[in-house]
Amino acid sequence: MSRPSLPFRFSSVPPPDPQTASSRLAPVDMSTATMLSGGRELSQPPSDGISNLRFSSHSDLLLVSSWDRTIRLYDVGENTLKAEFVHAGPVLDCCFHDDSSGFSAGADHSVRRHIFGSGKEDILGHHDAPVRCVEYSYAAGQVITGSWDKTLKCWDPRGANSSDRALIGTYVQPERVYSLSLVGYRLVVATAGRHVNVYDLRNMSQPEQRRESSLKYQTRCVRCYPNGTGRVAMEFFDLSEAAQAKKYAFKCHRKSEAGRDTVYPVNAMAFHPIYGTFATGGCDGYVNYSKYPTSIAALSFNRDGRLLAVASSYTFEEGEIPHEPDAIFVRNVNEVEVKPKPKALPGPPP
Amino acid sequence: MAHISTDQLLQLETTCGSFLYELQIIWDEVGETDTERDKMLLELEQECLEVYRRKVDQANRYRAQLRQTIADSEAELAAICSAMGEPPVHTKQPIQRVGNLKEELNSIAPQLEEMRKRKGERLKQFLEVMEQIRNISVEVMPTEYIPSRHVDESDLSIRKLEELYRQLESLQKEKNDRLKQIMDHLSTLNELCSVLGVAFKETVREIHPTLDDAEASKSISNVTIERLATAIGRLREIKIERMQKLQDLASTMLELWNLMDTPIEEQQLFQNVTCNIAASEEEITESNTLSVDFLSYVEEEVLRLEQLKVSKMKELVLKKKTELEELRRQGHLVVEEAENEPEIAISAIESGAIDASLVLNQIEGQIAEVKEEAFSRKDILERVEKWLTACEEEAWLEEYNRDENRYNAGRGAHLTLKRAEKARALTNKIPGMVDTLVAKITQWEKERGIGFTYDGVRLLTMLGEYTIVRQEKEQERKRQRDQKKLQGQLIAEQEALYGSKPSPSKPQSAKKVPRTSTGGSNRRLSFGGAATLQTPKPDYMHSAKSTRTAKKLDDLALTGSRGLDIAGLPVKKLSYNDAITKHQEVGMPRKPFASIVPVNTIPSAPSMPVIASTLEENQAPNKMLLLTPKNPATAAAVPMRVASTPAPTCLVNDGKLSVVASVEETEYSFEERRLAFYVGGR
Repeated sequence: MSRPSLPFRFSSVPPPDPQTASSRLAPVDMSTATMLSGGRELSQPPSDGISNLRFSSHSDLLLVSSWDRTIRLYDVGENTLKAEFVHAGPVLDCCFHDDSSGFSAGADHSVRRHIFGSGKEDILGHHDAPVRCVEYSYAAGQVITGSWDKTLKCWDPRGANSSDRALIGTYVQPERVYSLSLVGYRLVVATAGRHVNVYDLRNMSQPEQRRESSLKYQTRCVRCYPNGTGRVAMEFFDLSEAAQAKKYAFKCHRKSEAGRDTVYPVNAMAFHPIYGTFATGGCDGYVNYSKYPTSIAALSFNRDGRLLAVASSYTFEEGEIPHEPDAIFVRNVNEVEVKPKPKALPGPPP
Repeated sequence: MAHISTDQLLQLETTCGSFLYELQIIWDEVGETDTERDKMLLELEQECLEVYRRKVDQANRYRAQLRQTIADSEAELAAICSAMGEPPVHTKQPIQRVGNLKEELNSIAPQLEEMRKRKGERLKQFLEVMEQIRNISVEVMPTEYIPSRHVDESDLSIRKLEELYRQLESLQKEKNDRLKQIMDHLSTLNELCSVLGVAFKETVREIHPTLDDAEASKSISNVTIERLATAIGRLREIKIERMQKLQDLASTMLELWNLMDTPIEEQQLFQNVTCNIAASEEEITESNTLSVDFLSYVEEEVLRLEQLKVSKMKELVLKKKTELEELRRQGHLVVEEAENEPEIAISAIESGAIDASLVLNQIEGQIAEVKEEAFSRKDILERVEKWLTACEEEAWLEEYNRDENRYNAGRGAHLTLKRAEKARALTNKIPGMVDTLVAKITQWEKERGIGFTYDGVRLLTMLGEYTIVRQEKEQERKRQRDQKKLQGQLIAEQEALYGSKPSPSKPQSAKKVPRTSTGGSNRRLSFGGAATLQTPKPDYMHSAKSTRTAKKLDDLALTGSRGLDIAGLPVKKLSYNDAITKHQEVGMPRKPFASIVPVNTIPSAPSMPVIASTLEENQAPNKMLLLTPKNPATAAAVPMRVASTPAPTCLVNDGKLSVVASVEETEYSFEERRLAFYVGGR
């Protein structure tokens, strides 16, 4: 018997394939979409591409990692920059430990821990290649990092500054790790080559499941649905036929212009902590019908889902070209926008 | 007695004296010598002495024995007293020793007897206690040290006894505690078993056979308790697991009921399931609520409901599809992909690839769209209908005009005449109608930025074609009139020459005027394709055809309108496919989203190729059709570059980024490419 199935979802880089250009499924209809305000912009944004941003799960603090080699902590309520750490190389990911400390993944192969109050930082350890993503598991009390060296590493944050003490284990992946997501003890790892591995943090010796992404193209981002009772069915941990039958994929971030369809890569996803709906952000600069200056690099809902932080930052999809300055917008979320839409049949599910 | 003994002694003396006298008489008679007589007397004396000595020794020994007995008794008494922890009862005081030995012994003996009796009793008590302790110990911890049955007789004091009693008491308490614990465990286990539908007796028997037996004393050892606790833990885990499953099922069930408006009577059968939806583990106590049978029963129901839902959804999807198609048909809207859509959707729903509600939403959206569109097209469509009716009449009129016998009076001839009259009037109005329509359509198209199609054919094209055909017909008629006139002249000349008048050339007209078969079952064909292809001898079309085909090609290429494909277009489609496949061949098998350009060159010039790839991505097929042949250079560029790229090369930069890149196989994310650029830039 299985626990309630936990869905997770992929987003992928779209194809250069003219035959799939029809986008009748896409819900983006610009003529009817209401243009909502993009929200207020934070002052003192990073000076180069934003690699990720995350709201704290206890407060309205926002942690931002950037290609300008910094990791920054903002107080969104006061619109102030509370702390800043400079690395040797670009920072590819960051996450909170608690409100007083956090972790970062660096292109300089290092995994660091930052104490916001004192400005102190420790090195948890190193990978053999740039570290692409970092997650902290409250359930296991571990930091999990994924790197382009094709490994996953688990760290004990208490053992900082002596790598032999901090490192719990190294787990070889089939390809370079591109995205990680956690829910409870479940860990989903998406790598190049469209591999997806699902682990149980309590038994990391081998993946609980090995899958191939159901999408055709490169996996950019993978996120776990926050609770077990999926309202929107996507892809499920549960291997039973019934649960697997529920998975689906839909197209988004497409645009029809003069008979041509432009398909944009999807960079980011964030789940609403209360309603379980989710927002996606792509290289077209749209988040749920609001247009931002450039590609959406990252999204994060705050703890009660009333705020959505949007990193409007060029994601290098077209190489080095001139682009809009990098900015962080924090926008108030209307309940109407995030509440699940009633189903087609009479009587919405309880 | 002394008196008696003196008497006896006196008697003895007299007897001895008489014996001696008798002996003297005998001796005198015998004449014994004096020596003999002395000797005999000495002998007598010695024998007497010997007897005395023996008696004294005997008395002496008896005394010693008596003393020994007294000492022994006293010692024993003292030992018993000390063992029993009591002060010695008998203190050997000299005053008490006035009596002789026998008295003394007599005084000690009863005391000793008494003490022995008490000791025996005490010993029995000890044995009893220790036996009990031993029994309980065996029950509590059978494997551990067991106190021996041996009683240490040197310490039989009350204190020791009390100690033992305390030990016994504590053991008994422990035993009771354990019994209580076991009973608790058993009742918990019983509850769990009943909820889970597991045989309680067997479960218990597995743990320890005595637990099942109501009569026998139950095993209370640590091992048993531990096993019980483990069994409870295990069952509780199972219970929680099953409870979660049940609750999952219940919530699914509720959702499905809600979704399908399941009647209350049907719901009531599963009231005992749904009432537990939010229950905690302790709250579920009803027996069999979580048994395997019950769970599978509920699961079956959920499965049934789900299947029902799928079939209902399917029905609904089909119904909506039909509605959508009906609407489209009414609005003369044609969407090419729509043709096998329902089958795809249905099979997808059946296979579970798509959520039916999603499909339903889509269809509803499409229906709304179609309705909206139909509304905006209504005005024009009404005019189109009028125009088409007019065209039908026109066609009829033409047919009628060709009928040689049309003026023959027959039944209903007057009606036909009337109709012809009306038709002529209508036909004259057609150019005006077409003009208004064209204006309206142009405005409509301007507003929306898309072509107005009628059954998939661009209406403007239809109208344009119609106008051209009409003009041609017009010209033809003119030509005929001219010819007629010419013929008339010729005839007039001939008449002048030969005086005879040939009949007007009927066959010519019948052959030359083509059937513009307007109306009929398929209007669409008649305007687009039939006009160009079905015409038997479209000699008059030749002039216009080339230009128009070119124009159509343009139309097709630019707007993507595929309206004309039924008629002229197998050829065109082929070329399109050709272009695509050719392009793909040239574009060679590369992985999705792999960069077109070898990755190694990224640091040097990343922007150009990436732009190229996005450009390509954005291209609609039609554009490609036009571009590829015109621009063979781009097509050729790819294989050339690939060919010139050396095999796997290393991109090393400060040792920071070392990626061994095999050109065709490696895919890279934006971030990797960005880092490569970043490192290269520094």
